[in-house]
Amino acid sequence: MKIEVRNITKRFGTFTALDNVSMEVPSGTLVALLGPSGSGKTTLLRIIAGLEQADAGNVLLDEVDCTQRALRERGVGFVFQHYALFRHMNVFNNVAFGLKARPRGTRPEKVEIHERVFRLLRLVQLDQFHDRYPSQLSGGQRQRVALARALAIEPRVLLLDEPFGSLDAQVRKELRRWLRRLHDELHITSVFVTHDQEEAMEVADNVAVMDAGHIEQTGTPEAVYHHPSNAFVHKFIGDVNLFRGRMVNGSLRLDQKEAESGRPNEVFVRPHSFRLTQAPDGPDCFQATVEHINPARPLVKVELLSEWGGAVQVDIPHQTYQELQLERGMTIYVTPTQFKVF
Amino acid sequence: MSIRRHSVIPGFGLASGVAVTYLSLLVLIPFTALFLRVGNMGWGPFMEAVLSPRVIASYKLSLGASLAGALLNVVFGLVVAWVLVRYPFPGRRFLDAIIDLPLALPTAVAGVTLTTLYSPTGWLGRFLEPYGVHVAFTPLGIVIALTFIGLPFVVRTVQPVLTDLEGEVEEAAACLGAGRWYTFTRVVLPTLTPALLTGFALAFARALGEYGSVVFISGNMPMKTEIAPLLIMTKLEQYDYQGAAAIALVMLLMSFMLLLGINLLQWWSGKRYASK
Repeated sequence: MKIEVRNITKRFGTFTALDNVSMEVPSGTLVALLGPSGSGKTTLLRIIAGLEQADAGNVLLDEVDCTQRALRERGVGFVFQHYALFRHMNVFNNVAFGLKARPRGTRPEKVEIHERVFRLLRLVQLDQFHDRYPSQLSGGQRQRVALARALAIEPRVLLLDEPFGSLDAQVRKELRRWLRRLHDELHITSVFVTHDQEEAMEVADNVAVMDAGHIEQTGTPEAVYHHPSNAFVHKFIGDVNLFRGRMVNGSLRLDQKEAESGRPNEVFVRPHSFRLTQAPDGPDCFQATVEHINPARPLVKVELLSEWGGAVQVDIPHQTYQELQLERGMTIYVTPTQFKVF
Repeated sequence: MSIRRHSVIPGFGLASGVAVTYLSLLVLIPFTALFLRVGNMGWGPFMEAVLSPRVIASYKLSLGASLAGALLNVVFGLVVAWVLVRYPFPGRRFLDAIIDLPLALPTAVAGVTLTTLYSPTGWLGRFLEPYGVHVAFTPLGIVIALTFIGLPFVVRTVQPVLTDLEGEVEEAAACLGAGRWYTFTRVVLPTLTPALLTGFALAFARALGEYGSVVFISGNMPMKTEIAPLLIMTKLEQYDYQGAAAIALVMLLMSFMLLLGINLLQWWSGKRYASK
């Protein structure tokens, strides 16, 4: 089921939550809506679900305009951040709710409901918990129940609103991998909202980066990380050093003089895109002192203070770190090897 | 086995001591006195006082009218609470404040006012009379008076629970294809049941003991519109203290059984998801 969003605008009073947003989610893909809080990602998701009405624009599911269609006719599975489980029902009845709520004609037989619910509970590995109440489950288990409940109605589209937002880090990582596997198994078109870029990058086929009611860029995680289309995306995705500088005759000038003269550009350099040397190395390099070193990571994290007094974060391999014999207070020369100018 | 277990909250001994003394002074000692008074009455006179047809009729009326009033309040109290919580509208605060008035008003004032309104020539009674609906001086009038004084209990017990009920749960139900009615009966109502039961119990208990507002609107016709508290008053006026105490004791036992039953029901409905 393809999801298409066309020119959606949504205002809350004077605040514009979404400003003429268009997006396409190809059938069978898993797309992440990524952005800081207040960027409109949850509002967009709720409009796709039909939980919220857009002021202008259309939502199309498989080329059919659903803008006017009632929430319960859209066939959308929705998973809430705070689970929204029915507290007075046990796990089985929570999952069975969508099937039992169907009108008499389309409601499955009791035996079939039982079978389908247990199939889903096995899928989320909670079949032995079928008679527990939500209050007796952990956060991760509750979210899995919520997911099974959403899948029970065999939705055409699965929407997840910060599904792992209220879980602790360890459970988050586990559930994230698990969601990816689940998607590979079921191939249901899914959109999930997150403000955690690592989560988006790890799970999604495509990422839509949002800011202030706009979609800034849509693309594969790789494309968004390596080829950000504007300054916001570059700043938001991954660690990055921001310099003010200019390109002069094909070489990058980052020193203080350039930064103050005329209108400098914003130059973005990822921490791993620097070369450190003990002697000056070409026209692009600048001088810096070592402020702090953290070698207890896959890449050694070096914090530098540049000659004009700005903090610079550099990641270097352990081998380079040993060759350079870096120490605190040492003076070093830094050359950006890859950068982006906006 | 010891009742005192180590707890981070101090003062169990002191607090429980105060609670027991307080309850004894206010509730247990008066009730014991009532039992003692009836105790030296003798079995025969007791049965005679308690089982005379006029007294039996009053029990039936008191229990029936109180139940009817409490049930009406459960239904309409829920609607009022729902409106107050869910829809912002001008004058909501004002309406909210009005709810408690039946508690503050002297009950005799309420009784006289209701009687005036519903008498055959009153503002409301005048329009009901042509349809053959008699309110004042009938059991229906008693039900209205008891509904009036019981209104705040259901509204005030349901309101906070309804405020806490997250809208997301209803959204989830709608996403799963449930219609409004299905969502209401299967999701919202079960969550409210414990609060509704509490409100029902309070309204019912209050109605059973109500005297002031009822005596004016009921007309106090023996066998027809005479409530049990009024019979007790009548006995007292005739210096039949033991007879009054006997009727009171029976009333007390009946309401205690009913309230106990409601408490058990509540415990049963609440235990399943009480531990949050």
